[in-house]
This record gives sequence, structure tokens and C-alpha cells, in this order.
Amino acid sequence: MKNDLARSIVTALSLAAVLTLSSTPAAGQVQPTGGGVAMSSLERLKSKSSGPAPRTADGKPDLSGLWGPDPHFMGDVSAALKPGEVLPLHPWALKLTQERLPKDDPNASCLPAGVPRMAPYPWKIVQTPKLIVFLIEGNVHTYRQIFMDGSAHPKDMDPTWYGDSRGKWEGNTLVVDTVGFNDKFWFDGAGHPHTEKLHLIERYRRPDSGHLEFEVTIDDPGAYTRPFTLFGHSPLMVNTEIMEYFCIENNQDVSHIVGNEKAGRGE
Amino acid sequence: MRTKLGLLVAGLGLLVAALPALAHHSFGAEYDAKRPVTLHGVVTRVEWFNPHARFSIDVKDESGNLTSWNLELASPNALRRLGWTKDFLQVGGEVTVVGVLAKDGSKLATARSVTLADGRKMVAGASASE
Repeated sequence: MKNDLARSIVTALSLAAVLTLSSTPAAGQVQPTGGGVAMSSLERLKSKSSGPAPRTADGKPDLSGLWGPDPHFMGDVSAALKPGEVLPLHPWALKLTQERLPKDDPNASCLPAGVPRMAPYPWKIVQTPKLIVFLIEGNVHTYRQIFMDGSAHPKDMDPTWYGDSRGKWEGNTLVVDTVGFNDKFWFDGAGHPHTEKLHLIERYRRPDSGHLEFEVTIDDPGAYTRPFTLFGHSPLMVNTEIMEYFCIENNQDVSHIVGNEKAGRGE
Repeated sequence: MRTKLGLLVAGLGLLVAALPALAHHSFGAEYDAKRPVTLHGVVTRVEWFNPHARFSIDVKDESGNLTSWNLELASPNALRRLGWTKDFLQVGGEVTVVGVLAKDGSKLATARSVTLADGRKMVAGASASE
């Protein structure tokens, strides 16, 4: 009994320490926490592994695995810019961002997040030589296909929430080129917009077995005055799996969202 | 010793509660972090579904009148990863809920912690940074 109690205390202290550390920003860094309890539920499931990243049979970096979300890609993607940088919004896009209300966030109505917005849930990379698939727990519960067969984007595409993605390897980096987006999703809870001219280039690296690094270059001359790049990190998740997340199943929130408060940077 | 553990658990609850919440909607636009509430009542319904688990309780006032409250938790996925199981809340069971009131004045709150009659307590989910 005493041992159990001592173990509980140690567990509580460790968890408290982890939470405290994770919510203490290092000097010069943007506040790294966010996503509330859903994010904190992932804390103890982060892999401690830091060995070399695995490789596939054909010698490519193996990005397969369950990855945690980066909170900088939730509340306000400005948090994922280089320190000191600001989003180069056209005036109309800045005005629209300021006018958008939380009740109108497509995510609040369980519509897809699009790219590069994340929810505080894990996502999985399934890698084969000709096709890489991202399985996304939320929000919404969906997938992305990245064709690795050297093919080009189709000429005539209907705009979609996740666009058309074609990938290639540049050394140890997976480079994903995506076009064909609709303009319906918001980049974040702050409501940063885009147009159908959106062209995304994502670059994924696995510097060690436990971590994924990515850069998302956003080129949308319709809403932004120049291309800009967001920087993200995902930890490898262990002892958990993608779980079902059908947001539409019992969404009672929208009619109660009466305030103007948006999620802040890093939320 | 038991008091120390209680304090630690309470401290842990506060730490978690201090983190901002965001699942699929803005927390601050739906709930008012400046209006905390503690509710004691009997569970009448449990909905273990996404995007948020929810439960209802009947709260009795001084005159014996019952009021039904709708209480929001985190998603079942996040709750499970925090160690919850869906049978923690039982219809007919007495609970004490510490949470934050909805801004629209309805009998809705987001729960920060739920304590059962036998003293078992779970950090509940949605909360906000003040």
C-alpha cells in the first residue's frame, strides 16, 4: 500500500514535471504549448527514442509512424514562422482574418482542417515506394494521398479541401507539392485565409527515430504578398494508435459559440 | 501522507487546467474562464461520443427543485489517453464537477474535474488559460 502510494506520488510528480517543462518556453522561443487537455493527453505517449532514423528496403528514409501534432499549427500559424516574422497578408486578407468569428470556423462545424492546420490528435504516415498516405485522426477523420510515382498534377482539377499531392525524395527529405485546394478552410483558429491559387510545398525530414521535422512553404499570391515558410516538429507517439474521430457525431458546440475570442498563438 | 497526495493530485489538476483547450472550436468563444462553477448532482445521461464526451446531471436546489446541466468533457480519444474509461461515469451516480460556465447563459459548463462519491477523481478535459 505504501509502495503504491509512493508510486502514485512519483507518477504525479513526473507528470507534473513533464507538463511544467512542456509549458515553459525557452528564451526567444514562441510559447510551445497548446491544444489543452487533448495535447496534454499525448505528453506521456511521446517516444523517448533518439537513435538513427530507420530506412526502407530501397534505402529511403522511413517516415512511417504515428506522429504527434505541432500546436503551432492550431490556434495561429504565425507561431510557426521564424521569430520576428509576420504573415504577409494582402490588406483584404488581413481584414477578413479580423472579421472572421469563432462560430464561423469550419472546424467548429466539423468541416475539414485542410492543410497545414492540425488538431490536437496524432496522425500516421504509411509509406510505400509509390504512394505515401497520411492517416489523420482529426479534424476531420480523413487521409491524404501523396503519389510518389513521378506523375504530375492532373491538368483539370476540381478544388478540394486537401488538394492533389505529388511527392519526391531530395536526399533525405520528402518534398510534397500540393495544388488544387478550395478556399473554404481556415489555416488556423485565427482565421487566416487563402485562395484557390494556393500552392503548398512541404518538406519532411526524420532527424532521428523519435522526431519528424517539417517546413511548409505557402505560396498564395491571391491572399499573401510573397511566399512564406512555417516550421514544425512532430514527436513519435508510442503506446497509442489512431482512434476514430467523427466530429459530426455529436457536435453541440456551434450554437453556444457566442464570443469573439479566438485561440491564441500556439493554441 | 494522504493529504500530500491529495495536494499533489490537486496541483496536477491545476496544471492541466491552466493549459488552454482547443479541440475543434475556440474555448474562449464558448466558455467564460472567469466564471468557474462547482456542481453536485446525480448523473442522468452519459454520451461517450466525439467531438466531446458529455454527461448530464440533475442538481437539486435549496427548495428541492431539480435542474439538468449539460457538461462537456474533452474528446473520448483524449480522455482515454488520459486514463479515463467510459464506465467511470455511471447513470445514477453522484458526482461533483468543477468547471467553467458557458457564455450564453444556458445550463452548460465545461468540466475541469469530476469527483465521484467514493472520492475517485479524474481531470476532465476542456479548460482555459486565464
